[in-house]
Amino acid sequence: MKARWLVIALALTAASTQANAFDLGKILEERINKELDKKDKSKQPQQPAQTAPAQQPATTQNAAANPPPAKQKIDARQLGFALFGDYSLEDENRIGHQIAGNLLGAVSLVRDDALQRYVNLVGNWVALQSGRSDVTWRFGVLDTEDINAFAAPGGYVFVTKGLYRLLDNEAELAGVLGHEIAHVTQKHHLKVLKQSTLIGALGQAASNKAQGSDQIVQNLIGNGAEIMARGLDKEAEFEADRIGMVFAARAGYDPWGLPTVLQDMAGLPAKDERTSLLYKTHPHPADRLAALGEAVGGRMDNVRGKDLPDRFYRIK
Amino acid sequence: MKRFRIPFAALAACLAVSTAWAAPGTVLRNDKLYAQPSAAATVAGSVAKGANVEVLSKQGGWLRVTAGRTTGWIRLLSVRVGAGGLGGAGIGDVVGAATTKSDPSRVVAVAGLRGLNDEELKTAKFNPEEMARLEAQGVSGAQARSFASQGGLAAASVPALPGPEPKQSSSSWGNN
Repeated sequence: MKARWLVIALALTAASTQANAFDLGKILEERINKELDKKDKSKQPQQPAQTAPAQQPATTQNAAANPPPAKQKIDARQLGFALFGDYSLEDENRIGHQIAGNLLGAVSLVRDDALQRYVNLVGNWVALQSGRSDVTWRFGVLDTEDINAFAAPGGYVFVTKGLYRLLDNEAELAGVLGHEIAHVTQKHHLKVLKQSTLIGALGQAASNKAQGSDQIVQNLIGNGAEIMARGLDKEAEFEADRIGMVFAARAGYDPWGLPTVLQDMAGLPAKDERTSLLYKTHPHPADRLAALGEAVGGRMDNVRGKDLPDRFYRIK
Repeated sequence: MKRFRIPFAALAACLAVSTAWAAPGTVLRNDKLYAQPSAAATVAGSVAKGANVEVLSKQGGWLRVTAGRTTGWIRLLSVRVGAGGLGGAGIGDVVGAATTKSDPSRVVAVAGLRGLNDEELKTAKFNPEEMARLEAQGVSGAQARSFASQGGLAAASVPALPGPEPKQSSSSWGNN
């Protein structure tokens, strides 16, 4: 199985390297055209595609209304960032470092070394199943009764004390951490940055001058750790549920840890203030259960794993 | 400390002393009830999305529930435990937006209780001391492996779960 993943990974790497080497320009061009074409169409939804423009008398008029997109000046290197989110590992680490440091400016770590060490051990073991070994994984429990968890690019993962208190065994912790680890492996936050800031800020961040300056990264991520308050789109959360459940199962845990935590959250009173930020940034647990159920069906029926309730570290 | 864990902890506690107690639940998707917690068991009945059930117990990925006059086992992910009905399921955009997104009264008022909210996050300043603490608490892959084997955990081969059926996406940005 490991070998199979390695083969797939190698194949993907080879494919993408090739694409970069030979087809990047073409892909970019196609992508730009597609995007501009789409915008064009959205302006005139009822207008049928002009397949043979040279023979259409109306073409001149259309062209006047919509100047040809190809004339726009586009820096292909910046667009590479804008369209594909091709942050280097160094950029990813810098962005994550800044976000994590800001988050820790809003709320500190629980002063319990045994707890923090335990969460790092479980988290690193789950992260070992994620296929992402190019980042240093760091886990922390935040000293707040809010019920939430956060991930930042570069391998930073946090759970709040409030969420930790809901957990009953190690498999549930592994499921929660698996969800956050999945946000990192899928680069969900980097994709949000890519979409929200687009070319200007990204070009700045990518320039050589910007290297090593945290202020540039701060410009990119907005104010403080507000990116954590904005959240991701629903599909990213559903995907992290699917992947996180699998990461925990691959780590040898009972796969039902994450679903059980979602059930517990679904059972909390709707007006519980400890979940207000969580529900601002995540779909309702009932929606997450339903979406996860669609994906899981009977696929986990034969997966057996451990709960480890006895080893689970309980907060005093 | 465990008072927050309403559905299952309460369930377990009550089952220990009484069989008459049950937690409410709502069916999230059309599914079957089985005589045993296994898809290979006899089908005892079926339930439709939105149906109310009484949740009696939990075992792995299964819940034992009563729906109408039928009692049987249903997949854990097919039921939402608790009294919130379908919650957001299906009507999430409406209910979710009304209750969680645009209602200003939902913003946490931090008075005594340490909470997290938009404003706190927005105004947060980089904290190098806490970052140093975080780094210092990191563990190595070797330590994690040793910890796993102490707990009897072994890496297992589990296939990835499929994503939802691709919808007709109107955006070419969608799958990046």
